[in-house]
Amino acid sequence: MTEAALPLAVRALRKKYRRRVVLDAVTFDVRPGEAVALAGPNGAGKSTLIGCITADRVPDGGEVRICGADPFAEPRAAAGCMGFVPEQPFLYPELSVAELLRFVAAARGLDPDASAAETARLLALLGLAGAEQTLCRELSQGMGRKTAIAAALLHRPRMILLDEALNGLDRTSAGHLVAELDARRAEGAAVLISSHDLDFLAEWCGRGLLLPSAGTWRLLEGGDWDAWRRAPRLEP
Amino acid sequence: MRTSEGVQLLLHLDARRISDALRNPRLDAWAGVALPVVLAAGGLWLAGGSARPDVSTADGVILLGLLAAGPVSLQAYPVLFRPADDGFLRRLGIPARALFGVRALRLLLVALAVVLALMIPFVSTRQPLARPLGVALAAAVAAWAVSLWAQARAAVRTSGGGRSLAANFLGPDPELIAAGWLVFAPLYPLVAGAAAARFAGADVGSMPLRMGLVIFLSLAVVPVAAGAFARALPRFAPHAGELAYAPPPDASGGELVIGRGIARVLPRRVQAVRARDAVVLGRRYRWAGRAAWPVAIVCALAVIRAGGSPAVRAWVTLACGLLLVAQAGAVVALGRSERGRTRGMDRALGMRLGDRLLGRWAAAFGLALGLALPMAAGWSIGIDAAGGGTWLAAAAGVAAVASLASLTAAGR
Repeated sequence: MTEAALPLAVRALRKKYRRRVVLDAVTFDVRPGEAVALAGPNGAGKSTLIGCITADRVPDGGEVRICGADPFAEPRAAAGCMGFVPEQPFLYPELSVAELLRFVAAARGLDPDASAAETARLLALLGLAGAEQTLCRELSQGMGRKTAIAAALLHRPRMILLDEALNGLDRTSAGHLVAELDARRAEGAAVLISSHDLDFLAEWCGRGLLLPSAGTWRLLEGGDWDAWRRAPRLEP
Repeated sequence: MRTSEGVQLLLHLDARRISDALRNPRLDAWAGVALPVVLAAGGLWLAGGSARPDVSTADGVILLGLLAAGPVSLQAYPVLFRPADDGFLRRLGIPARALFGVRALRLLLVALAVVLALMIPFVSTRQPLARPLGVALAAAVAAWAVSLWAQARAAVRTSGGGRSLAANFLGPDPELIAAGWLVFAPLYPLVAGAAAARFAGADVGSMPLRMGLVIFLSLAVVPVAAGAFARALPRFAPHAGELAYAPPPDASGGELVIGRGIARVLPRRVQAVRARDAVVLGRRYRWAGRAAWPVAIVCALAVIRAGGSPAVRAWVTLACGLLLVAQAGAVVALGRSERGRTRGMDRALGMRLGDRLLGRWAAAFGLALGLALPMAAGWSIGIDAAGGGTWLAAAAGVAAVASLASLTAAGR
């Protein structure tokens, strides 16, 4: 497989806020079927890195390719390949869960019947069956996050980005979500997940990107990753 | 997805969202919108002749054009680039031209609402509507189209890293200089609105033809703006979010001090709410306080020197009334921004609704005093002593309505 076809390729990514460097030449790939952990303390730049990948932040240098597409030059191609659950998901407060997911399916150009079936499956999987007609403004934090997860997975993206996505999920739903992500990985999808649950990251992921502080990073793979997963920590 | 399909989908979404107010009516949602609208419309109705430019003169026509173009030019940036769902829609792969189409329609609705608002004083004073309506419509449509173009062009230039020559006069802040194109973008629609008003209102007989020409030229600008917007959006939209980043306030920005000055007479809980709301208002809507002093100084000097002239009293009343309404808007916006959050915190702290209302009123009244006090003094010296007290009463009354609307907008 060529580099252009990788679910995610990040090269020499730089980002600073005013004079404060947050990301300094960050370089890594995420390969098909892989789950990569993104770990670091608060303010280290995890959400900024994900934002630069999803085109919610403008990098000062370097490049990002999602399934070979530049998210700034080819936003629609990148959007079609990517499913993203932000730390604070956006939901239309005036729409019900079912209406929101119908809108997402239509915006993605999905077949109405197939997307309705997939929506029902995802809602049942995440424990939201029966909440279809609930307005998004009435949802609890966890239910809102589950709705955002269903919206992100509906079009079967090749690159799944989860920013603290397991926060607020009950244990059963989190287990079901991980099983679903495993099934997607088996089909070739890749996952980049940030979390403060280091034990979960160590257990579930195959590699990791550690951001010990703003402007520093370390790619953990092979022996480094094995050593880290035995004793997960945020220090380099 | 084609652009037309995207526009259709987004319009359907907007219709569904707007109809929520009818499908699931909530008092706080209705009151949060209706109270400011009623306040503004009522103010314009009562202001009558004072708020109505004389469209029989060229100056009056240009003034009406500027009044129509002003709100459109200032609203263009948030409407085009700062909707709350911008990132969500971009990540769904909605075509940029479809996003432009819907946002351009929203701005057009703003322009038409402004025209309607400007007609209220003409209706209340039973003036013929044809000429002012034509002038205001021409100005609003021209300002709408030029706003779309100017903001999209500014976005292209800003995201491309270019710097305008004039931006170097904005001060030492490199971030502000880099955003110079955006700072000056509202000037183009203002000028275009004034010019379109002058052109359309120059001759009553040929007004329909002139209006048609203005609308035709305006519509011709829109595709150019759409192209620039589509080029700019992927890089500029996230950049716009970063531009909104506010560095921590400096110490001179108003520190939270509880129980200062005359506020000491208030109950302790009310003092706390007042201090918090005053600081948040001062930091989030700094313009509302800063705008008061120049307006107050100019207006107070005007009534002291020429308060006997009805014309001077009329424009002073209009200018100060508009500023009080704008400050009330900031207070209501504060409530909207804390929807569902601060009230929960206040309840956990044991605050009663009365504490919150009185505290917010005190903060809003404090904001309005920057204008009301100099005006009361100026009016008492220049016209009559009793009239001075009216300014304080008006400020207190507007603050009360604004505080009520603000807490209603804050919701549960």
